Amino acid sequence: MSVISTEAKVGLFILIALIILGYMSFQVGEYGFGLKKGYLVKAVFDNVSGLEKDASVVIAGVEVGRVEGVSLVHGKALVLMRILPEVMLERDASVSIKTHGVLGDKYVEIVPGTVGEEYLLDGGVITNVKKQADIDQLLRDLGSISSDVMKVTSSLENVISGEEGEANLKAIMTNTRELMENLNNIVKRNDEKVSVMISNFSNASKEMERAFTSLNEIVDKINRGEGTIGQLVKDEGVFDNLDKTIASLREIAEKINEGKGSIGRLVNEEETVDNINASLKSLDTSMEGINKYITKTDQFRTFVSYRGEYLFEEDNAKSYVELKLRPREDKYYIVGVVADPRGKRSVTDRTVDGTTSRIEEWDRNELLFNAEIAKRYKDVVLRGGLLESTGGVGIDYFAFNDDLKLTFEAFDFDSERNPHLKFYAEYGIFNHIYLSAGYDDFISDEGNESPFAGFSIKFEDEDLKYLLSNVPIP
Amino acid sequence: MIKLVDVHKSFGDNHVLRGLNLEIDKGKTTVIIGRSGGGKSVLLKHIIGLLKPDKGQVIVDGVDVAGLNDREMNEVRKNFGVLFQGSALFDSMTVGENVAFPLREHTKKKDREIRKIVSERLRAVGLTGVEEIMPSELSGGMRKRAGLARAIALHPQVVLFDEPTTGLDPVMTEAVNELIINTQRDFNLTCVATSHDMQSIFTIGHKIAMIYEGEVVAYGTPEEIRKSENPVLKQFLSGSLEGPINIL
Amino acid sequence: MRNLIVAFDDLGRSVLRTVEEMGSILIFFVSVMVWMFRPPLRLRLIFKQMEFVGVKSLFVVVLTGTFTGMVMALQGYYGFRMFSAESMVGSTVALGMTRELGPVLTALMVTARAGSAMAAELGTMKVTEQIDALYVMSANPIKYLIVPRVIAGVLTLPALTIVADFVGILGGYFVGVPVLGINAGAFVNNITMLVGLDDIYNGLVKAAFFGFILSLFGCYKGFTMTGGAEGVGKATTEAVVLSSISILVSDYFLTAIMF
Ligand SMILES: Nc1ncnc2c1ncn2[C@@H]1O[C@H](COP(=O)(O)OP(=O)(O)O)[C@@H](O)[C@H]1O
Ligand SMILES: [Mg+2]
Repeated sequence: MSVISTEAKVGLFILIALIILGYMSFQVGEYGFGLKKGYLVKAVFDNVSGLEKDASVVIAGVEVGRVEGVSLVHGKALVLMRILPEVMLERDASVSIKTHGVLGDKYVEIVPGTVGEEYLLDGGVITNVKKQADIDQLLRDLGSISSDVMKVTSSLENVISGEEGEANLKAIMTNTRELMENLNNIVKRNDEKVSVMISNFSNASKEMERAFTSLNEIVDKINRGEGTIGQLVKDEGVFDNLDKTIASLREIAEKINEGKGSIGRLVNEEETVDNINASLKSLDTSMEGINKYITKTDQFRTFVSYRGEYLFEEDNAKSYVELKLRPREDKYYIVGVVADPRGKRSVTDRTVDGTTSRIEEWDRNELLFNAEIAKRYKDVVLRGGLLESTGGVGIDYFAFNDDLKLTFEAFDFDSERNPHLKFYAEYGIFNHIYLSAGYDDFISDEGNESPFAGFSIKFEDEDLKYLLSNVPIP
Repeated sequence: MIKLVDVHKSFGDNHVLRGLNLEIDKGKTTVIIGRSGGGKSVLLKHIIGLLKPDKGQVIVDGVDVAGLNDREMNEVRKNFGVLFQGSALFDSMTVGENVAFPLREHTKKKDREIRKIVSERLRAVGLTGVEEIMPSELSGGMRKRAGLARAIALHPQVVLFDEPTTGLDPVMTEAVNELIINTQRDFNLTCVATSHDMQSIFTIGHKIAMIYEGEVVAYGTPEEIRKSENPVLKQFLSGSLEGPINIL
Repeated sequence: MRNLIVAFDDLGRSVLRTVEEMGSILIFFVSVMVWMFRPPLRLRLIFKQMEFVGVKSLFVVVLTGTFTGMVMALQGYYGFRMFSAESMVGSTVALGMTRELGPVLTALMVTARAGSAMAAELGTMKVTEQIDALYVMSANPIKYLIVPRVIAGVLTLPALTIVADFVGILGGYFVGVPVLGINAGAFVNNITMLVGLDDIYNGLVKAAFFGFILSLFGCYKGFTMTGGAEGVGKATTEAVVLSSISILVSDYFLTAIMF
């Protein structure tokens, strides 16, 4: 009746099913470990909770075997692993239990030992057992951390909220503004010195420019103690200039010490100090909580910094206060406020009689905000997020033990105008104090481009705590 | 050769056969009459072993079929052909496959031979060229004939007809009756037919049995039945509403 | 008081009926098993049933499988996005399909399509005395009608399931990768990493079991039906309900045993 017989249809159907089954089996392929090939090695762990029979054994992420069985020996867990015959394990190879993701399956990871060591034979024991991070412990710690964080936020709320807090914040703001004015005055009064400073900078940066073009050479030459750096260090002129710079900074610092200017006042204002002290104490407890589960090498660190930039074209200063939270060596978060002399730009579209007009306003009293995530790859830091209250990205390059930082930032992307681009160099002259120079908004099509110079002060939380809790209150 | 002795059969509370006795003559056609739902089909199913009596015996060729196992029962059934009330052709098979079915199941005949027998049997019941047609495409009369062709495919000694003419027009009824008479005579069959069609009863029956309330109330040749004074039989034959048969 | 007695009476009766039915299913099951291993094996009939149960169900199974995979990917995506674990969508779809949804949905679709048809077909055959005709012609209807259906159910359900698994994962892929923008490599990798042969095979074993259940119950309901044309409709409905419930309940126990 039909062209294709029943048998042919059914045969074709089963064939398709078998092909799909074969394909899928091959895709999830398990090497045929069930064939019992490969040799056995053992390792003794304190705790293997969650490790199941047939769990993967991997080296560098490549599956090389399966867990054959888990048994109890003298109160410890003996894990039997079957390893592919072509994979040789050195005697000093180390073994640990890992998890796919936070909630994933457990597996065994082997890190190969020293090349040239004797190989393990069938039935051999891996003695180098690395302790695994206990997820339960971690979760418990995370719980206590989060309650600490809650404490911090509530004390912060106490500081900020309420009339008192508001008054405090206002006071801080006025202080900052006064500080800016003072700095302005300082810079104006020291006009001569500043220009010397800047000429020094340009000298230095020219030298550096040359230095960076042949970075490899430098490294070589540093090793041999000669070359550009050698010359730079020996160059009397540079030293002279640096001396002068330091002298002017010292003057500033002296003025602060004498209680003159706003920094002095800020530091001496009792209430502010109390508030900050309280919040720092909560911060302290939370840090302890965090430190509890993070080893010394992987310490959670917090930095607070102030940066002032004098914009030559604007004849005005821009200042930044930033908090940097660094949970890991290669990753951190930056939150901060920026006081821009131009203020905050706000754009509103207004439609009158069918024609839309765009109104742009600058609010001088508004603060701008930074909130960024940063990730470090060797000497390069990539960051992104909120820059001066707009979306943006930045890249930092570090050199000389992180004393020199070259930064490029791009933000305020808008189809109507060019983005805000900025680059600068920052150099640490001594502990906590850095000098910077660069060019702000250099492709601006609204006449905002300006070279700038400035300085910044950076503290780590430990220093800050020390500083603030030990400031004598007159 | 077929003998029912004191056969009782109930379905739940429905006591259908109540001590039925009947002896069927070999090489003759016996017609069983009775009202609808009176237990005629049930009686036939007892003969062929599809139903087992609650009490009593159904004796075929001297053997009580109620006591046979599956294999022995199958041996007995090879001598039987059945034309069911609705023909019971397998509607998933063609007419040709239907007629070939008992041949394929019970003989080791070659395909070609089977095809030859099939068309022979179909011709015997007056059907030609319907081998490849599905039963659902046949008319009622043709289905009866195809069913008969299947029933006689294996040359059985006994053929049971369950209401062979019910639902057919008078011409077709006559044709089917003729077919039964001819088949019975040609193959010297023992036939048992159920019916309540008066014309058919007297045309095909050598013996007539009347079932009423689960028992045989009258049994005899057509003449004896016609002359009988049995009130049940008289009412049934005349189709009168007056009498012992309660139509409620 | 009277009502109470009537209620208890009804309760007792229905319990009795259930027990009775379980017993008769068991007897039916045993006779099917006995006839299954009695030669000859009717290959032609098995092939015919495999065509009906398998080939002709392929379309609905592919359709169901694909859309199930797609929906799972979509739902999974919204969940996993909260943890930035979008690539987990791949393994979720694959594990969900191979372990549970592939076998169960395929079985339910085949129940609706073929299980009900088995009950209706056998019921009709019973009403029109075709089953009696088989007995009369010494062809045991269990051997002739039911064994091929049960074998076809057991053989084709795994085949349909693997197809459903596959198209489900494909559906998930097409929603996940081009539509939702999940990384293709991560999506596939996640599947090959987290799905094991066991997951696939256990799913297929389940499917074979479901195939047995749905064909056995479909046949049972049709074969034991009473009450004419109306009875056929009733048997069909009961077959679908009984099979579906049994599939879902046994799925729980099979899962508990296997995984
Ligand atoms: N398999 C069965 N199960 C239950 N009741 C049946 C069965 N077969 C027949 N009956 C009942 O037995 C009675 C007689 O039926 P039947 O022999 O078919 O009547 P008829 O004489 O019209 O052929 C009817 O009431 C019918 O409902
Ligand atoms: Mg009848």
